[in-house]
Amino acid sequence: MKFSAGEFICLEGDLSSSLYIVKSGTLYGTNTKGNPAKPKIFEAGSVIGVSSLLENAPWEYTLRAQEDCEIEVVNRENLDKTLESSPTWLNSIISFLIKRNHVSEENKRKSDLVQALPSLLYVFSGLLKERTDNAVSITLLAERLALMNGTQEEEVRRLLRKLQDLKVLKIQGDTAQVQSRELIPLLYETLRFRALEHKVSPNILSMTDQMMLSVFIKLSQRSKDPLRNGLSAISTADLKAETKNSMHGVTLTTRTMAALVENKILEPSTTLDFHAPIDQVEFFFGDFDRIMDLLELNRIFPLLDKKLVE
Amino acid sequence: MTTGDSRKTIIPPVRITVKAGFVVFSHNDPERKIVILEKGGLRAVDSSVTPKKELFRMRPGDLVGVAALLEGESFRYDLEATEISDITIVSEDCMESELKNMPLWLLACVRELSGQNRQRRENMRKPRMENSLKSLAEFSRFLKKEKPYPVESLIQEYCWQTRVPVAAAKEDLKALCRRKFLELQKQDDTLCVVAHDPELLKLFVDYLDTQDQGKPWEPLRLSLNQKKALVTLSTIKASEVKDAPSWLAMFQKKGIDLTVADWIYMLGQGFFTEKDESHFSPVPEKVQYFLLALRYEINLRGVL
Repeated sequence: MKFSAGEFICLEGDLSSSLYIVKSGTLYGTNTKGNPAKPKIFEAGSVIGVSSLLENAPWEYTLRAQEDCEIEVVNRENLDKTLESSPTWLNSIISFLIKRNHVSEENKRKSDLVQALPSLLYVFSGLLKERTDNAVSITLLAERLALMNGTQEEEVRRLLRKLQDLKVLKIQGDTAQVQSRELIPLLYETLRFRALEHKVSPNILSMTDQMMLSVFIKLSQRSKDPLRNGLSAISTADLKAETKNSMHGVTLTTRTMAALVENKILEPSTTLDFHAPIDQVEFFFGDFDRIMDLLELNRIFPLLDKKLVE
Repeated sequence: MTTGDSRKTIIPPVRITVKAGFVVFSHNDPERKIVILEKGGLRAVDSSVTPKKELFRMRPGDLVGVAALLEGESFRYDLEATEISDITIVSEDCMESELKNMPLWLLACVRELSGQNRQRRENMRKPRMENSLKSLAEFSRFLKKEKPYPVESLIQEYCWQTRVPVAAAKEDLKALCRRKFLELQKQDDTLCVVAHDPELLKLFVDYLDTQDQGKPWEPLRLSLNQKKALVTLSTIKASEVKDAPSWLAMFQKKGIDLTVADWIYMLGQGFFTEKDESHFSPVPEKVQYFLLALRYEINLRGVL
């Protein structure tokens, strides 16, 4: 078939089940995913539409003749006839290659999504800092991520939906809203620490520490004393009583509080002597919002990897 | 029958029956081949460990060795029969003879399918964006103003996010420093990087992005009169509201002759927002953005 310069040969998304071989001339292909300023060039000898012919997949590109050109078209009928006269093992190899491509495509899709998450959290945190409210435009987030990491908008939306399922944020129209401004930066930092330091982040707490913090939060919420500079203070006596209640008879000791104090999540009213009884300390205090964020992080983090590849 | 035309000579695949335990191929076998299991069972094992570690099992219809034969990859395992099995072995010669008889377009399809898979695997290790300088500028625009970041760990963090090779990222960092968007500083014995005005990096990203799209960047296209109007606008409060003729008159009073085309262009660029019908007030953020671009034009263009 001959085409004149400027003529359209096929459109992205067409279902034509055919293969084009460029015999002479040059074609250029554009698609909605690519950069319109940098079309893909197909010169003489190029083969276009393998998936369209073998799998009846929609056309990946809109093709246009850049100059007068000649194209050989192979359709489904040609393929069937050729395969009929070929040995069966050749069909097996072609089927294997197609199947393997699907697997590698799926693996690439998952890998891209996993890889895009830290950047999404990083850019989200950055955009959040530029705003006074707790909402980020999804379109803007996708634009900035495309610039930084080549992430596509569809992937951004998929990741945001996964984060919404984990109750990290809420999607409302074109905005992603967070309840806490610190949770997403905290999540990013925890991922960064795991990846670059090859260690568990200090933000990831033991079950005992998480339970102790839950007790602390429960008592803070029950307390009638207002927060001072966001800090909540709970007496050791109340902590002891509630620990016994909530943690099935566990006795609060200095040792129970040691890690939380060392990591500066909770602070004692007086210097904690790790060998002395817990009653030496009158009360413990901590940043209410930070503790809430840490508890949320510890709820989300173990679920994150599985959720990403679901 | 040999015809003398190599295109017509077909070397058939070998069909054999093997007993349980027979090693169909070994990972150090120099001969490349595709093994198709017709009947029975095969398993792939890693013989480099003791005891042998089973990697996977094959069922009738399964095949292995495509990557080895078509893409020259080496076998990473041994393949042995778990029971009496019928197998078809497609050797390199057999494949070559069949490919020679295949129409060229089908050969191209097989190559394309094989190439797509290799390409995808390679892409999984490569950065997804084309312009790594733009990417690093976007990353750096979220750095805290005036905070020193150790270069090594910052680069490591950026490369982890983007898969950009460390050497390329360091080159890009130097390019941003040359343009004075970032500054390298020694803090004790650690080389750190500081962003004095992260807003400039955002501007640079926008500039590079329009360039990548083959479009001109509007802040650097302003005429002299439009630039003068912009400077004047930066001194006017956002609460000032006038209709278009009054704005034009105000500019004229200040010696700036703006045409209606200039006015429409400035409206299009978002220098003004429409308050009510035909009344407009300036948008300070937009005006500042353009002014900053003009002030740092040389840095943006990289012709310091």
